Order: sequence, then structure tokens, then C-alpha cells
Amino acid sequence: MLDLAYKNIMRQRTRTILTALGILIGIGAIVALGSIAEGIDTMVQSGLELTAGKITVMEKDAGFFGVMGELTDEDMEVIEGIGGIREIVPMLFYMENMIPMQGPEWTAIGIDPSKGEYFIGENAEMEDGRMIEEGESGVVVLGYTIANRYNTEVGDFWTIKEDDFEIVGVIEKTDISDIDTSIIVDFDDLMDVTDSDTYQMIYVIPDDIKDTERIAENIEDASERLDAMTTKEMARQAGEIVDQIRIFTFAIGAIAALVGGLGVMNTMIMAVMERRREIGVMKAIGATNRMVLTQILTESALISLIGGIGGIILGVIGSFFVSSIFGGGQITAVVTPMLALTGLLFALLLGVVGGFYPARKASKLDPVEALRYE
Amino acid sequence: MTKNIIEAMNINKIFNLGMENELHILKDMNLEIDRGSFIAIVGPSGSGKTTLLDILGCLLKPTSGEVLIDGVITNELNDNELAHIRRDKIGFVFQQYNLISSQTALENVELPMRIAGVHRKDSRRRAEKLLRTVGLGERMYHRPPHLSGGEQQRVAIARSLANRPRIIMGDEPTGNLDSKTGKDILDLLKRLNKEENYTIIVVTHDLRIKKYAKRIINLRDGRII
Ligand SMILES: Nc1ncnc2c1ncn2[C@@H]1O[C@H](COP(=O)(O)OP(=O)(O)OP(=O)(O)O)[C@@H](O)[C@H]1O
Ligand SMILES: [Mg+2]
Repeated sequence: MLDLAYKNIMRQRTRTILTALGILIGIGAIVALGSIAEGIDTMVQSGLELTAGKITVMEKDAGFFGVMGELTDEDMEVIEGIGGIREIVPMLFYMENMIPMQGPEWTAIGIDPSKGEYFIGENAEMEDGRMIEEGESGVVVLGYTIANRYNTEVGDFWTIKEDDFEIVGVIEKTDISDIDTSIIVDFDDLMDVTDSDTYQMIYVIPDDIKDTERIAENIEDASERLDAMTTKEMARQAGEIVDQIRIFTFAIGAIAALVGGLGVMNTMIMAVMERRREIGVMKAIGATNRMVLTQILTESALISLIGGIGGIILGVIGSFFVSSIFGGGQITAVVTPMLALTGLLFALLLGVVGGFYPARKASKLDPVEALRYE
Repeated sequence: MTKNIIEAMNINKIFNLGMENELHILKDMNLEIDRGSFIAIVGPSGSGKTTLLDILGCLLKPTSGEVLIDGVITNELNDNELAHIRRDKIGFVFQQYNLISSQTALENVELPMRIAGVHRKDSRRRAEKLLRTVGLGERMYHRPPHLSGGEQQRVAIARSLANRPRIIMGDEPTGNLDSKTGKDILDLLKRLNKEENYTIIVVTHDLRIKKYAKRIINLRDGRII
């Protein structure tokens, strides 16, 4: 009966299109906003890859996205006093031109070159040039994305604050946005340029990866000020935040879609009223209540599905815009198959729920009444 | 196989039962209709002809009494089962034709078969054959608004035959047609009755019916006279 349903909804083409449009906007919002949550998730996940097997130490209550807190050499000493640690890597971040909601234009990361592998990984290859060498000063290495965006290459200069740094290398694309969008500088150089005596983060690398949890606990026990997070713990926290963002974005879209659902209901009520006689005929010649119910539900589900498919297309287009507006290129909003499926199922749900009342009404129609009625 | 295709025993129909505007329309009515007969129900307006036909056609339940269709007692059947009786045993023809205006003649004739779940290919072939039988072989792809009243009623008759019912019921099938076209429709019904042994029951004011019907049921004040 799908062909009949399609024919029926196309009898009122304009009304059907307008109704589907209501669903389309709602599902479009769910998909576009949801793609931000997915983008944030991808970003966070890739960030977590960086910290695998490491303990990330920050000042307590320093935010995930917000201000990053201040660590001092005294904190370093506390950590040094704990056993079972192979390496302690202090890191300093400098964010250029921080814009709320969009993030910084770029981020410089100060790290001891001899320990650089702990940030970019052991296997990172250079696209061009070389890494910073030990004891070398006045040079930077760029992430792939940042080098491309600013159209710079090895031999050019990069200005941090007032100082110019020579670009000696560009790291090959890693798909980890924290690396691809960063500028790597010698730790001491960045401390000097930014005139700081504190830094935001320390990576602690245990001798034995099995001790990770224990050492993290020891660090927190040893200092009131410090927050030591393992990847597991960070993943949990990040997961919670991303889930909240997911729910929030879905809720906004769902409200819009719900309005669309009311539109479907309204349209189907009108359709049933207009087709009273026709439904009466169907029943008189042998259609069961259930058939009539299914018929009307199919029609409303079809309208919603058309809207839903349009909404997913709109959402995909919207996600491109979202990527370019938010996150300063750090967040790549993605429409995952799961998200698209959610949008489609939600549209279907709205169609069925919105169509249920009119469908039920139609199925209960008394054929004698409907046929007498002029 | 029972001899009578329809039996009605002690049928009463009371509208608005127990209320101030109670209407006793059919009174203790008994009726037996032979297989293959051509019956006309006549009587003044408001005498209950449509009500009787609706009850015999399982569209309306009597207030009391029993109706048997092809030996099946219909009183205790639920909506679903009644729908199946209408689908399989009865073909309806209405005064207003009641075709679905958005669908072609062919699709209209196919509709009861689609309701019955007949395979699309078979329903199409049968619908084409039926439209040729009623003389509309050239009008299959026209929609009802583009057909004359007589043509629409032929489509309706073709539709009523779709599921090979045993009974065709018509409530004033010629009521909206001019005299010549009305006669053609009656001729068509007569032909179906004679050649294919359909039981025909029509409610009509058409005086020519005497020449067609084997039996005339005259209603007055809720009784057969
Ligand atoms: N659902 C109903 N509720 C109340 N009264 C009804 C209902 N249906 C029919 N009636 C009444 O029953 C009476 C018989 O109606 P019916 O339609 O059977 O008459 P009829 O013989 O077919 O008349 P006509 O020749 O004008 O078509 C009428 O007075 C009508 O008003
Ligand atoms: Mg009548």
C-alpha cells in the first residue's frame, strides 16, 4: 500500500511539502548540532591518544576547556619525590588571541626537545625539515594544519609575542588535532617569551605502565594542589562531558522536530477529514479498521521520512558551516552514520506518533455515517 | 450450500434507542433471498430501504434479530470479520458512485482486490477484464472526474465484481442518472444476474424495475407489505 500512500500524500503536494519542511528543520537541527558533539568527541578522543600511558598532572580544578591553572617547580619537586617514575615532562601552553567559543588562533606548546616524543609520539614523521634539537634555541616546529593554514614553510619565521622564531620543521599530518594545530617550541624559550614562571601541565611517565593508576594516586596524596589523571580517568570525564553535549544538542533539535511532529498531526487530521467519504468507501468494500489505520500511519510516516531525509541532508550541509564557525578549525563536525540514523528514526517516530490520533480516528469511522454525509 | 444466500429473521432496527427521539425503523422483519435472484426494494422515502440494505450488507447491525449471509450468522461477528464478509461476499454500488477520484478507473476496480491482498499482476488483469465486461475497455486510465455519470457507475459495478462476490447490492444505482443511462445500468445488472448468476438486490424508485426484478419487496412503516 506504499504506492497508495505516496499517491495520497501527493494529492496535496504543497501541504505535504510544507509539513515535511517542518520535520526537515527539526531533524536538520538535530543532525547539525549533533555533528558538533561528534566533532568534539573526535577531538577529545584524539587528544586522549596523546596521553595514553601517561599521567596528566594539572592544578586542581583547572578546567578542561577553560583556564588551565598554574604549576610551579615546587610541584615538580613533589612529583620527583615519588618512586617508579621514568620521566617528568613539564609543558607550557601559549594561546594566541583567545576568542571565547572559537578558541585561540593558534597554540604554542613549550616542551623540552629531548622529551618531545612524549607529546608528538615516537613515530611521528617530519613532513619537511627536522625536529628541534637539544639545547637549540629560537626555533619552532609547526603542526601540519597550522603550516598549511598560514602558508608557511621551513626557513620562514613565526612570531610569538615579540620574538621571531625560525621554522625548522613541519610535522606530517597526524589527524590528532592537538598536534596538527600546534606550534612546538623549546620549553625554556616559551617561558622566556611569555615571561612566565609557571606552566600548565606536567606529563608523568611511569617506569612500568601497570603502575599508572597507583602513581597517579600517590601524586594526589602527596600534594593538595595537584590533580593527576590517567587516560582512563580522563576518558571517563571527557565522555561524560561529550554525552552531556550530545543530550543538550539533541534536546534543542528535538524541540524543533516536535513542532514539526505537530504539523504532521495537523496535516493528517485534515487529510482524514477531507477523505471521510473515501475512507467510508474503503471500509464498506471490505477494508478492516487495521488496514485503514496502517494506511494513514503509512502516509504520515512517509511525510516524516521525506522530511527526515531532507533534514539529514540539511544537517550535513549545516555541519560544514558549524565546523567553520566554531572551534577555530579544531573541531571538525561530523555526521556519523549513527547520528543520521538517529535523525531518521526520530523523524519516523514523530510521523507514527503524530499520525496515530488521526489514523485511529479514521479507523473507527463508521462507513454508514461517512457515506450518508454529503 | 444453503438454499438462501441471505436470511433475515425478526429484524428490528431502532435508532436512538431509549431516547426521546427514538425511531423504530424496521419492525420484526423476515426475509429470505434465493441464490441468483434479482430483488428490488421499493417504498416511500424514509420507509427504511437504505437501513434494510445496510443491515443485509453487514454495514449496520440490527438492534435485534439475525442475519445470515451465505449460511453464516453475522450477529456475533466482530468488525474485522464483518469487513471480510463485505470484502468477499458482497459488492456495493452506490447512488453517488463513490469512486476514489484521485485514482484511475483501473485502480478503482483494483482496490477491493488490493484490500484482499490479491497479487498485483492478477488484480490488474482482472480489473482490465471487468472494465471490458462493463464496456469501458477504452476508459481504463481515466479518472472519475473525466467520466460521465453512467460511465462512473459502470466502473463502480466493475469494482463491486472484483472479488467475485455472490451478491451485488445497489442503493438507488440509477438515482443520479438520466432515463436512458439508468436503463443501461439496469440492463447491465440484469445481464450479470442472468449470465453469471449474481444475486442482485437494488433499492430503487425507478418504475421500470418491475420488468427486471424477479421479486419486489415493498416497505411501508417498517414492514414488508
Ligand atoms: N443513524 C440514524 N439515526 C437516526 N435516524 C436515522 C439514522 N439513519 C436513518 N435514520 C432514519 O431512518 C429512517 C429511514 O431511513 P432510510 O435512509 O433507511 O430511508 P429510505 O427508505 O432509504 O429513504 P430514501 O428513499 O429517502 O432514501 C429515516 O427517517 C431516517 O431519518
Ligand atoms: Mg435511501
